[in-house]
Formats: sequence, C-alpha cells, structure tokens
Amino acid sequence: MQHTKLLIALGALILVAGCATQPGGMSRPGGNNPPPQPSPSPTPSQTGQPGPTTPQSSGNGGGQTATTAPQQPKKAPPRSASEISSPAVMSLLGRADTLANAGHMDAAASTLERALDLDPRNPFIYQRLAAVRLAEGQNGQAEQMAMKSNSVSDNNPFVESGNWQLIAEARKQAGDKMGAQKASAQAVNFRQAASQYNQ
Amino acid sequence: MVPLAKKSRKSGKRSKPRRGQPRGWFRRLLPYVALVFCAGAAALALYTVHLDHEVRSKFEGTRWKLPAKVYASPLELYAGLDLSEKDLEQRLERQGYREADTLSDQGTFKASGSTLSIHTRAFQFWDGTQPDREIQLTFDGSGVASFKSIDDKGKLALIRLDPLLIGSIYPTNGSDRILVKLGDVPPMLPAGLITVEDRSFMTNWGVSPKAIVRAAWADLRAGHIVQGGSTLTQQLVKNFYLTNRQTIGRKLKEALMAILLDAHFSKDEILQAYLNEVYLGQDGSRAIHGFGLASYFYFRKPVQELQPSEIALLVGMVKGPSYYNPRQHPKRAKARRDLVLDMFHNAGFLKDKAWQKAKAAPLGVTNRSAHGNTQYPAFIDLVREQLHGQYNDSDLTEGGLRIFTTLDPSVQAAAEKEVDQGLKRVEKARGIKKDSLESAAVVTSVEGGNVLALVGGRDRGYAGFNRALDARRQVGSLMKPVDYLTAIKNPSKFNPITPLDDSPLAVKLANGKTWRPHNYSEHSHGTDVPLYYALEHSLNLASSRLALSVGIPNIIKTLHDLGYRGKPMAVPSLALGAVGMTPLDVAQIYNTLATGGYYTPLRAIRDVTTRNGKPLTRYPLKIHQVVDPGPAYIVQWLMERVARYGTGAGMYRVLDNSKQMAGKTGTTNNLRDAWFAGFGANRVSVVWVGRDDDKSAHLTGATGALPIWSRIMKDIDARGIVNTPPDNIAQMPLNLVFNPGAVNQGLGPDPDAMYGHGQNCPNAVKVPFIKGYVPQGLTPCDTDIMSQNAQYHRQQQQQEQQPEKRKGNWFQRLF
Repeated sequence: MQHTKLLIALGALILVAGCATQPGGMSRPGGNNPPPQPSPSPTPSQTGQPGPTTPQSSGNGGGQTATTAPQQPKKAPPRSASEISSPAVMSLLGRADTLANAGHMDAAASTLERALDLDPRNPFIYQRLAAVRLAEGQNGQAEQMAMKSNSVSDNNPFVESGNWQLIAEARKQAGDKMGAQKASAQAVNFRQAASQYNQ
Repeated sequence: MVPLAKKSRKSGKRSKPRRGQPRGWFRRLLPYVALVFCAGAAALALYTVHLDHEVRSKFEGTRWKLPAKVYASPLELYAGLDLSEKDLEQRLERQGYREADTLSDQGTFKASGSTLSIHTRAFQFWDGTQPDREIQLTFDGSGVASFKSIDDKGKLALIRLDPLLIGSIYPTNGSDRILVKLGDVPPMLPAGLITVEDRSFMTNWGVSPKAIVRAAWADLRAGHIVQGGSTLTQQLVKNFYLTNRQTIGRKLKEALMAILLDAHFSKDEILQAYLNEVYLGQDGSRAIHGFGLASYFYFRKPVQELQPSEIALLVGMVKGPSYYNPRQHPKRAKARRDLVLDMFHNAGFLKDKAWQKAKAAPLGVTNRSAHGNTQYPAFIDLVREQLHGQYNDSDLTEGGLRIFTTLDPSVQAAAEKEVDQGLKRVEKARGIKKDSLESAAVVTSVEGGNVLALVGGRDRGYAGFNRALDARRQVGSLMKPVDYLTAIKNPSKFNPITPLDDSPLAVKLANGKTWRPHNYSEHSHGTDVPLYYALEHSLNLASSRLALSVGIPNIIKTLHDLGYRGKPMAVPSLALGAVGMTPLDVAQIYNTLATGGYYTPLRAIRDVTTRNGKPLTRYPLKIHQVVDPGPAYIVQWLMERVARYGTGAGMYRVLDNSKQMAGKTGTTNNLRDAWFAGFGANRVSVVWVGRDDDKSAHLTGATGALPIWSRIMKDIDARGIVNTPPDNIAQMPLNLVFNPGAVNQGLGPDPDAMYGHGQNCPNAVKVPFIKGYVPQGLTPCDTDIMSQNAQYHRQQQQQEQQPEKRKGNWFQRLF
C-alpha cells in the first residue's frame, strides 16, 4: 500500500518535473520550439476558475478588459524551470531530482528550500516541493505547495495544469474523491489553455 | 595499579625517621609510632589507589561536556548574487578568511581587479560534508557577474561558505569548547606550548623536580607562593581535577596525580587533552576552554588556519588569559606575544623571515562586536525557545549538537546599526533625554518565514530584556490592515473606493463607559472617505466604523488566521490596536500579509544534527493558505498606498523611489509606542520604539520607527514589490482625486471631473477589485469619489443594518 503510494507520487514527480532538469542545466531547451503565436482565446481564469458572481454586478467584464487593454500576442509562458531559472537554481533542482529519485525525500526538500532562498517566487520550485511532499504522503502540504506555485506562476497554464494534477493526486490520496475530480477538471482546462502554445 | 601501590609503599618506608638511639620511654612507644606510620603509609597507598582511579576514569571517560554549537545561515555564492566585491571581502574577513598570495590553504582569498578567488573551507552541513573548493568570482555593478570553480574537482554553479559560528548553548556559568585533535593543529602549536610552558615535557615523569626546586626556592625567599614550576601535565591535572586554590596539600596532590597521569597515558594523549582543556578567556559567563574555541573566539577561524603570530599570542595567553587579554590589554598582549615569538625563534622552529614577519604583524584579534555569545543573545533566546520541549537541557549543553539557524549576519548587523543610530538621532533631534528610548526590531524573509535578524534592545553586550520576544506593547494602527482585510474579504460590501464614514463616533460599552475614538488630527474627513484613503492616512474614525461593521470577532478570526496566537479582548478599541503584541508577533502577522496570504510559521532553526553530522530534526518549510489571493492582493495594494502617499511616505526620503514597499505605521495613546511594520518583495521588517517604563516616548510611528525601518530596508537592499494581481482581480484605471481639504466638501477640485467617460486618462491608477464586484456603473477613468458608488453602498448598508438594530448592538450582546 505504502509502496504503491510512493510509486504513484514518484510518477507524478517525474511527470511534473518533465524530466527536464539536467544537473548544471546551463543549456536552454528553447532551440527547437519557435515562439508560438497564440490566437486570442479565453484565458484559463475565465474557463477554469469558478469565479464569484453576483446578480448586481453585470458590468464587470469592462473592468477587466480595461486593464489589459491592447491585447498583444502574448509571449509563451515558460514550460520548464530552465527557461526562467539561474544556473545556480538549476543545479539545486538537479540535485533535488537526484535525491528524490533515490528516495531521499527529506534531503530533496531541503535542497529545494535552498533553491527557494535564491529564487523565492519561482513556481517550478514550489511545484517540485509539492511533488516531494506528495511522495512523502504529506497530502496537505503537497496541495498547499501546489497552490502556492499557482499563486506565483503569473497564470502560466503549463505550471498550473501540472499543479492541479498534483492537487488531484493529493486529494485522491487523502480520500477526497470529489475534490480530486474538481482538480482534475482544472488540470484539463489548463492543459487546453496551454495547448494554444503548442502549434 | 600494582606498581603504583608498590611505589607508595616505598615512599612510606622512606619517610620512616632515623634519629639515633631512642630513650627508654620512647622505646616503649616505638611500636605505636611504627603503627601510626604504617597506618599512614597504608592510608597514603589507599589514597593513591583512589587518586589513580579518579585520574583514569575521568581521563578516559566522556571528559568534556560539549555545548551545542549554533551557526548562522551560510552565505550562498553564485552568479547573480547581489553582493558587491567589497561586501564579500568584508564578510570573508569577518569569518577569518585571510588574504594570501596563493590559495593553497583553506580559508584564503585573493583579490585582483574585479576578480575574487577563494579557497573555501570544508564544512559539515546538515545535508553532508561540503568539501573545500577553489572558486573564482567576477563582479559588476549589480553584484556577482560570474562564478566558476578553478580547481580540478569538477564544475560548480554555486557553493555555500562555511557558516558563521554565532554561539553555544552552555549551562549557566559553564565552560565552552570545540574539540581538536593533536594531528589537526599546526605543529607549531604543541611545539610552542612545550617551549614556553614545559621544556622537559617529552622526558619528564609528569613532574619536574628541577622546576619545583627552583619554584620552591623563589617562594621561600618571597615568603609566599610566587612561582608555579608546574609541568603541562600538572597544569592539566589542576584544570581537570582540582580547584584553583594553591596550598601545599593541593600541590602534593597535584604532583601525585600528574605522575599517575604520566604513567598511564602517552605524551600525545596528555598534550591533546591539554590543548582542549586549557582556559583561555572569558566571554561573559562563558569560560573559553581549549585552543579550538579560542581560535574562533579571538580570530574567527579554525585552529588549522592559525598563523605563527596568532599561535604565539594564544600560547602566551596560557600564563594569564585575563592579564594578557588582547582585547582589553593589547599592549601587554603584544609584548607577551613578541616574547613568545622570540622563544619560538630561539628554539629553532620559527625561521628568521617568518619570525620577522610575525613580529611585524598586528594582533589581529576580531573586535568585541564580532565574537561569541554576547553578540547575538536575542537571537539565541529565540533559538532556545524553538528548541524548548524538543531537547532537554543536557542534550543542549553536553551533547555537542550542531544547530543551523536562519540568522543572516549582515541583516543582523544592519538592524543593530540602524536601531542604535536611529535612537541616538531621534533623541538628539527631538530633545529627548539621552538613552531613555528603547527599541526592538525583527527582519524576516517573507517566503520561508525565516527570521533573519532579531534585535532585543539597544544594549546588546548583555543578555537582558529581550523586547523582540518579551515586550508586549499595544500595536495601535498596525491593526488596521487586519481590519481592512477582514472587510475586503467581503467584496460585495467593501472595495478600495468604498466610501467610509469618518464622522465622530461614540460607542456605549457594556461596562457603562463610552468609547470615543479620535483622529490623530482631531478632524473628521467627512462621511464619504474612500476606503484606500482612510488606511493611507490612518483615519481612526473611519477605521473604527469599518471594524465595527465587519465585527470585532471577525477581526480576531483574521488575526488568528494570519498567525497570531494570543487571545485579545473582543472590545471595539481592538480595531485601533488595543492589544499587546511582541514585535515577533507582529512580524508573523505581516509576514503572512507579505506572502499573499500564505501563513508560514516563522522559524529560527532549519536543522539540528549530532556532533558528527547525523540529522536529528529538520524544521521544514510549511505553508498554509489562510487568505484568498484576491483580498490579500488588495490589502497589499492598500499598504503600498500607505508607503507611497500616506503615513509611511517618509520612507522615500531614504529608500530608492523605484522600490515599491508596503507597510503601516502604528502609534498608541499618549505616544507611548511608535511602530512601523512593512515589507518589500523579499523582506519583512518590524520596528518598535518606546520606553521600558511605558511613559510617553513623544514619537509617532512615522517619526520614531519609520526612519529606522527605512534605513534597515535600504541597508539590506530589500527588493521592491512587483505587483502581479491574481486572476480573480480586475484592475480599473481610476483618477484618485479625493481631497478632504478641498472646499467642495471633499468632493475634489473639480466636480465635473468626477466622470472621465472612458477617455484617455494618463494619471489614472489601476485600482484592484475582486472580479465580479466592480461597483455597478463604474467605468475606466472615473474618479474615486463617484457619488453613485457612495449612494449604492449606503443603500446596501442600510438594508443590512436593519435586522442588526432589532437585535441590538453586537457588542452589547456579547456581555
């Protein structure tokens, strides 16, 4: 039982880590994917998040469009840590992956915390921490870390889809079937939102 | 044991008197006399056996209690670190790194131009041993531009410097030491000790009769004891087993034990014990024992890295650690050191050139402010508090644990400096009695919740009253962001431009008294003050009404969500901060606000390991979302307004204008307490200024605490906030024109400008609203004083207040 849990969590870890980290991680993987030109499509928040609605407030769409006024074709958000992380952070992520793969979850978490000290608002680091906590069976902390990753991701659908997947897994482990389904749906939404960058 | 017993029997025989023919009566007494002597000899033999046991068991057993060692957080070096070359060099020197021509030794560095090369020290961290490496860094205007390894041990992207040893957890009036092995110390240290203290050490039997005779002769002539004549072995025995009293009986016991020790143990074992036992100074109530700790205490480096002049100083101090204390008596200490260097030279193990160089060298001891437990007593208090309940006292004072903390020495130094200078400055500028003010400060890391610095007061030489942890003072308006957050959590009722009523207020309390808050200016600002403005200028009337309408119990709930553990009274004045909190409590609350609503328990410790590096306890990062991202963002935005345009705006006299900060002033009745609490992207700082006797300090948050706060944030180069609204925030560009001083009853300079009709409005401010709750009819370029908005809200409030009235005041219902 404990074993399968660990295996599932490790699977999730590898999945979200995207096996993209190389120790040292100096090379940028951007070479083979040209900057995508997404067509304007609904933002994940509109499709995904069950936003609060009230009967009185009908004219609220205006408020939002006003700020992001001239909608330019947005640059694709980063898919992997290496796109936004310094060599120092990448080297720590690489070390943490190695430690996690060897089952040293505590040491992996400690290394990821070192990375956070260097780059405190890097969503990929929080995401990995979430995966490590999931592997340790700390479902509550796994979910919290994934939520925190969302909060610093600047609405990055690549990151958020992974986080919702982790949250779904964490809720499943905790026996919260309904919650897990909701999170899975969110993951699907964000994957769709991310797919606009995949052409 | 047997040979020793024999020895003593022999000595018993020797002591038999032979004085010619005894007389008759004496002859009869002789058997009794013999009996007495035999009994004496037997007693001596038994005593020797007893001593022998004592000597052996104490020497072989756990000989030393090792106080836990407390380390600061290590400095990480990597490309992109915002640390100048000068600052890094200073840090290296503070940690006892030595500038050298070659990097062959650990703990050395070499600077040339904008390039700095370092040979780091190997160090056992909580996650294993990091080997020593040779690295090279280059610098540009913003810090470390490049980083690489220059040894042949492989590539590196970052490295940790060995952390600063900031203290030990030792028992009251206890001794402290760091164990060293004879094989690890520079050979000059034992050789020098023997030369100076006991030339015949390698050949004597633990005592040196020649030296004793010489000393005895000197003592006799003087009529009292003036000279010791002790061998290293005797000195060790004295330190180890005996008290400091010098009596003949003690001397004999000491000599006997020295012989026993010498008989049982090798010279190397005795020498190593001596290196670790010898008393070398005092740090408050902590006794500094052994060369391992003395090396850190005086030079901030491991004993392996000691240079000849430094070895000579320490060896010379053995004769009288307080008499030759290099910090108190530098001239005396230097004369002694130079004499010792001459002895080293004469003995042949210090060659001419090195001898001359060593004599020319300064004493090189670190100053008082950079050593030992007395430097960080406030922070060590917090460490003890966090350890409390997990480790018992003997674990901490005897087991040699290694405690890795979150203290950042440079942040701590900045906080201490600014507290000291800030108090002096404000006392002078405002004619306040010198040294009458006190202060406390806490700096935390936002994400991670690490306590980076803790200042418990202005006099830190002694572990005294730790105001950062123990002084519970009223927080005043520091409470307001909590009030406003509680309100904003209900977006259908409150948003940044909701008009608040700032007219005079009287609340009848259950005890019959009436609570009448006042604005600091004693003026009301009308009945339609936009919410953001009320917080910006810390309006008490508007804030009290707001707090009463959201409910004091709800505010207490928010306080607890944010991490406050106290139980404040549910009284209306809580809205204005009528609750005593410690600066650390405030730091916890504001840290949660700074993270965007993720409660992260503050921590001072990250890891505890055994003496040998085995992990014992981790204190991992734990986070818990306690405020939704939307309201958290709006409150941060409101506090940014405070910093930019409100009571906190004075910070930009010190801080770079481009750095967006958020914060709040706090001032209490009769100007007793002056607070400022606020944050940038990566640092929360809380500063309190007041008097210990609770009399008026004659200071407001803005005049007393904010200047210190701003300078701390500047010194530590806190990053500015980059606003990234969460996706349930809608931003509306509005012209914020509310001006209560304007003639038109606060309706702004030009009533016609109330509506911008969606035209281009370059001076508009992006005001955040929770999506779905932008007030009806509000369009881009409108102003904040839109009367429709005001009307709409008044209607709503009236509707909701009706059922309340029927049930009576919530507060009266409480009692």
